[in-house]
This record gives sequence, C-alpha cells and structure tokens, in this order.
Amino acid sequence: MKATYEHCIRCTICVENCPVFKVNPDYPGPKQAGPDAMRFRIHSEDKVDKWISLCTQCRRCEQVCPYDVKPASLILESQIAYVKKNGAVPTQVMFSNFHFISHLASFFAPVANFATSLGIVKKMMKLIGLRDDIPFPKFSFNTMQRKKIKPVKGIRKAAFFHGCYLNANAPDTGRNIVKLMQDLGVEIIVPEQVCCGLPALGNGNEKKASSFARKNAAVFAEKVAEGYDILYSCTSCGHSLIHSFPEQAGTQGKIVADNSWNIYEYLEKLIEEEQITLRQQDVKKTISYHVPCHLKGTGKPYPFLNLFKTLPGIEIHAIDDNCCGFSGSYGFKKKNRDTTDKLGRIAVNALLEPQPEVIISDCGACRMQIENFTDVQVCDPVEILRESLK
Amino acid sequence: MKYDIVIIGGGMAGLVSSIYLSKKGYKTALVSKGDPICCISSGCIDLLKTDDNPLENIGNLPEVHPYRRAGKENVKKSFVYFKEMMEEAGLPYYGEEETNRTIFSPIAKKRETALVPMSMKEADIRNGESLHIISFKGIKDFFPGYFTDKFSNSKCSVYNDAGKTTISIATQFDNSDFRERFFNWIGDLNISEDKIAVPAILGTKNPEYIMAEIESRTGKKIFEIPTLPPSIPGLRLFRTMKAHAVKHGVDLFWGDAISEYKEDKNRISSLIINKPGRPTIIEGKSFILATGSFVSGGLFAEKTDVRETVFNLPVSIPEEEERLNSNFFNPGHPIGKAGIRTFENYKPKDSKLENLFIAGSILENSQIMKYQCGHGLALVTGLEAAVNCEEYLK
Repeated sequence: MKATYEHCIRCTICVENCPVFKVNPDYPGPKQAGPDAMRFRIHSEDKVDKWISLCTQCRRCEQVCPYDVKPASLILESQIAYVKKNGAVPTQVMFSNFHFISHLASFFAPVANFATSLGIVKKMMKLIGLRDDIPFPKFSFNTMQRKKIKPVKGIRKAAFFHGCYLNANAPDTGRNIVKLMQDLGVEIIVPEQVCCGLPALGNGNEKKASSFARKNAAVFAEKVAEGYDILYSCTSCGHSLIHSFPEQAGTQGKIVADNSWNIYEYLEKLIEEEQITLRQQDVKKTISYHVPCHLKGTGKPYPFLNLFKTLPGIEIHAIDDNCCGFSGSYGFKKKNRDTTDKLGRIAVNALLEPQPEVIISDCGACRMQIENFTDVQVCDPVEILRESLK
Repeated sequence: MKYDIVIIGGGMAGLVSSIYLSKKGYKTALVSKGDPICCISSGCIDLLKTDDNPLENIGNLPEVHPYRRAGKENVKKSFVYFKEMMEEAGLPYYGEEETNRTIFSPIAKKRETALVPMSMKEADIRNGESLHIISFKGIKDFFPGYFTDKFSNSKCSVYNDAGKTTISIATQFDNSDFRERFFNWIGDLNISEDKIAVPAILGTKNPEYIMAEIESRTGKKIFEIPTLPPSIPGLRLFRTMKAHAVKHGVDLFWGDAISEYKEDKNRISSLIINKPGRPTIIEGKSFILATGSFVSGGLFAEKTDVRETVFNLPVSIPEEEERLNSNFFNPGHPIGKAGIRTFENYKPKDSKLENLFIAGSILENSQIMKYQCGHGLALVTGLEAAVNCEEYLK
C-alpha cells in the first residue's frame, strides 16, 4: 500500500529533522507545507503559498517519516504548481537552464570568470535576485566533455555520468575519478550528456527536467544495452538518475535507474566479486566527511567509508546530521541568504569539531558552501582514495 | 551485504540490542523505516507506574507480562546497562530502579518515571519549593500559565529575543553568542526562588554545560520541562543512541520499509527493500524483530484482524468480548495486550521461523500504556532478545 498525505499522523518527526525549519521562522516546516496543506490543495482550491519555495528539497523529512509519507515530494509538487500559476522569476529561469549557461560560460571561461567578478555584473546579478556576497563558481574551458581521457580495455565497462559541476566547474576532479577507475581496470567512457534535471525541477520547470532526463536516458540506456554500467559521483545527480528518471523517461529511465552505481558502491561490488583488489596504504589523517543529504537519503551504509574500514591510521568522522544549506541553486538566491548562511555555519562548526586536516564531501555545491566558512582544505573524497592508492 | 544479526526497528529496543551485539563483536545491521516514537517522547525512562518501588512491583504484574519473564534481576541489570551506556555515549541518566522520581508534564501535571536525563534531575521538587519559570516570547509548544496557576509561590520571566518553536530555540542555544546573551539576561534577573524551570530547549546536545553556566550565574539549580512534540530530550536520547550504535560499528539501513523476506529451510535468509533502482538486499544469520506495536507500525489493525507487518506472524489478540466491553477511553485498553506470542527464549511461538527473536512492545501482553513502561520494556526485552540471539549464534 502506498502512503498518501492522509497517512500523516502529525507526529512532527519530520519537523524535528527539517534544516530550514530550525533557522527560518517564515517556513512552517514539512508537516504543514506538505501533508497538512495538501488537504486544502485538492478540489482545485487555490492554496499554494509563497513560502513553498523555502524548502530546499534535502528530503530529510522523507527518510525519517515512520509512516512512509513523502512530505518533500508533496512540497515539490506544490512548488511546481506555484511556478506554473505565478510564472517563473528570473533566478528560476536561470537555474532551470543552468546546463546551457554552464556550457556557454565554460566556452568563454576566462571572460565569464572575469565578468562574474566585476562590480557591474555583480550588481546585475543582484538585480535579478542573486547573491553578490559569495563567489560565483569558476568555470573551466577544459570541461570533461571537451578534454576526454581515452578509454582503455578493462575487466568491466562503465559509462560515467559526471553532471554539470564536475564537467564545467571541477573537471580535473572528474578526470581524476575517470583515471582512478581506469587504473583499477574499468573501461570507463564519458558519453555526451546534459544536466540531470534536478535544478530545473527545483526551480519549478518539470517539462525541462523531463526533457533533460529523456535525452540522458536515451544515451545511457543504449550504453547499458552495450554492456556498460552507469557510474555517478555527484550524489544529487545520482538521486535524479535513480528516483526521477523512471518517472520522467519511461522504460529507458528505468534501465538507467536499475544500472546506476555510486562509484564507491561500484568498487565495493567489484571487490566483493573478487574482480579487483585495492592495494591501499594507510592515510594518516583526520578527516571530516560532510555527508550530502542526497547520499544520506539512499538509506544505506556509506560506501566510501566501507572502503576504509580496514585502515587503522585514517580517522574519518562522518557527519550526516546537517544540511549545508546550499542545496544547489537555492544558496545563490538573495532571498535565501540568511537560511543558507545559518545552516552553513551550523554544518561547518560540526565538521570542524574533530579538528580535521581535510574536509571531504561528494557534492560540489556542499564543497563550495563549506569553503565559504573555513580555510581548512575541502576536497572530493576521491582525492583521499587516490592518496591511499599511491 | 551479510550480517550475523539483522535488527528490524530503530526504536529503543532495536537500538539497545544493536549496540549490545555490535560491542560483542557481531556484524550487526539495524533496519528502520523511519525515526522512532522515542524522538517525540519526554526522553525519560519509565520502568513501571507505581507510587511504590517499581522494581519490587514487577512481582504484582500479571504472570504473562514480559517483565515477569525477564525477572527482577534482569530488569535491574538492563537499567544499569543503559545508564553505563549513556554515560559512555555522553548523555548521562540519573535515577534508581527502586524509586520513581517525578517530572512535570507540559501542562504542569506531575508524573512518575524511573530514569531522567541530568537536565531533569532537579525536577523532583519537594513540597514548598518555589519555582522561577523561564519562558520565551511567542513560544508555541510551552504554556507557563499552567505552572504559575498551580504553584502560587512561583514566578515567570519571559525572554524576548529567541525563536518561537522548541526546535529553533534549541538550535539557537547551540550557538555561543546566543548563549552569552541569554546568560547575561538570566543573571540580571536576580532570581530569588528556590529553583529555575525552563522548557526543554537548552541546546540540541547534552545541556549540562549550559545548565552549569546558568547555575553559576544565578546561584540556583535549574531543570528542564518536557514540551509537546517536537521534544528535544527525546531527540537527544534517540540521536545519542543512534550515533553510539554507529560508533560501535552498527550498519544502518534507514528510511525504507522492508518489502519482503527470503526463507530457506525455516530460516530467514534475507530482507529485501524494493525502491527505485536496484533493491537493497540484507542477508543475515539471525534476526530480531523490534518494530513496536500499533503506533510504531509493527502491528496493523484491519477491520477484523491484527497483522504483523514484516513477517506476517500470527498475532494474539484479546477475545472480542474483552475488547468491546472495555471503556475505550480508560488508560490501558485490552487491545494493548495484542502482540506476538513467544517462548522463554524470545522466539515466536506460532511460527516455524527458527532464527527470529522478538523484542519490545510488539511482545504479547506488554500493555505499555496501562503500566506506563514503554522505554523500560524496550530496554529489558531488547537486551534479553539480544542475549538469546547470541546464544543461538554460538
């Protein structure tokens, strides 16, 4: 039996776990914004409120609900309905189309990076509702798509879904992941792809998100037919591939969902099947691991940690109680500044408590946010794995 | 993934048994479809509702009650285990099994409990002691009027510069700047009453350091009053135990209900969680079912029958005559007897599954509402089932 909003018993467990509710009094919390308000939204009553956009879609409420009610999904539905009715504001249009912007910006990378640092451009960004007090992510010309690593034959074939951030903003990290897989004997390719669609969905553009999903699913389902597994590193892209694609892209979407692997989960599987062995050396470091909300949401033990269980010297503190508050495009919007900053501070304070030498997180947006609050080195977990394999 | 023991249910019973078994070196997994009722509870550990010695009064319970099977000694042992565990986990508890203490309910009613977090140690007030209630402007989940009406020698002060919900104020108390402002304010009040009482909002973690500072600024003892849900002391208890379980190597599978299980020669071999993408498969040598009663979803009442939700085990329910003749609104309706019948070793009686053990309020005749023994029963039977499971694995 699938639970609906009517199965909510108003226990407030979701409210206890909502990051926005903790710090923003304007947001009534997932219980009211989701199942409670849902009763007023049926019968075509006009009861979708402005505060609905304050939800970051971290989906913590869905993981903790003991009755299988899906507050975040109900809220997303209402967010989309709100944009449909009231029209998209400039920031929503911009982030729905971020895929194209990041393509353009990486092509003109030096110009784009220079421009986003200019006072006049910052003023313009502010005018359309963007924050001008945090750095805009830098774009690279040598995207993953433009500078590909030649695949080498291996024991397994895999196609990498890198997503927007690794492609245009951190392509070297992306290529490090590809190289690592290649060194471990996986024949890894980087097919042509577009955005996973999550930013479009979060900004109320369901149609655009579905069109992205269909394009990606067509490419990757074909790769699956050719014997490839699908790998992802960005946990939010992973969330889209597995949770949104089956709905948005039908049979091909389901093929993608069934064959997508988090890179560390994939390594774990290959080790278990005795196809590879990791010859790891101990990394004598204290590390804080900011677990992204969309990784926590998988509801399974964290695969990256499992790879380090046998190394005694490394000290990894996995902290999964906090949303960093950035949530992709959410944190760039002026109206969310206060919420984003307060949550960022809470998350980073918790990360700094074990006095780490390095902070790691799978999600590019989380890393950007953490860097805004600390000088401690922040990097992708793959760098630690690479270090242990040297 | 292969485990020695897979525990189903992330409440008190499941958490304590997972910690016990993982500490003993068994590869342990804890599967829960969501956060438990524990995190909206008062955070106190009830043993038994009585004006007298709760441990001794176990002898007066019906013979079929799970406490009777465990025996006084094991009840005591479980409570001691819990106190040691919480000390180690960084959220110490206070109290004895032989005497109940009093705490306040959110509407100023006194109620008994056995163990309290340190933040409620001083709530056991003696006759004539005067109270100074601290409240927060616009707070939704706490009503100081109940207290000032009831205790004529009490006073109330309201702090203006804070959030309006327990969650937001507790989050603010985690911040040192906010704390400093609050300490200065409360110090300037020159409180003359015997004790200070605040709604339970003193930070999301163990609040002892905050209480110590308030006590040093005011010269008075302070205690927390549990609020309506969301409840911070319940949240602290749950989060501390969960983190302790992870620290001791328990693997968590959280957020999805179990869809089906596989069986091999009368033994459960694996649990399967179907969700978008590939299903999660959790293999185990033995299993503990601690999914709770009706409220927690371990039992589900149909029109004419009661169902156990994971393995579809037969559920024993009181006769229709007993169910329908009782006053529905009396505490302790006989439906609270519904549950799984078990042998001495916590294995289910009416099932052929050999590697399954049952713990917590899903046990037949537990009647946790009637006897006010929810968390206590969870601890005792959680540990007892774990010990029997360990026996089985040897």
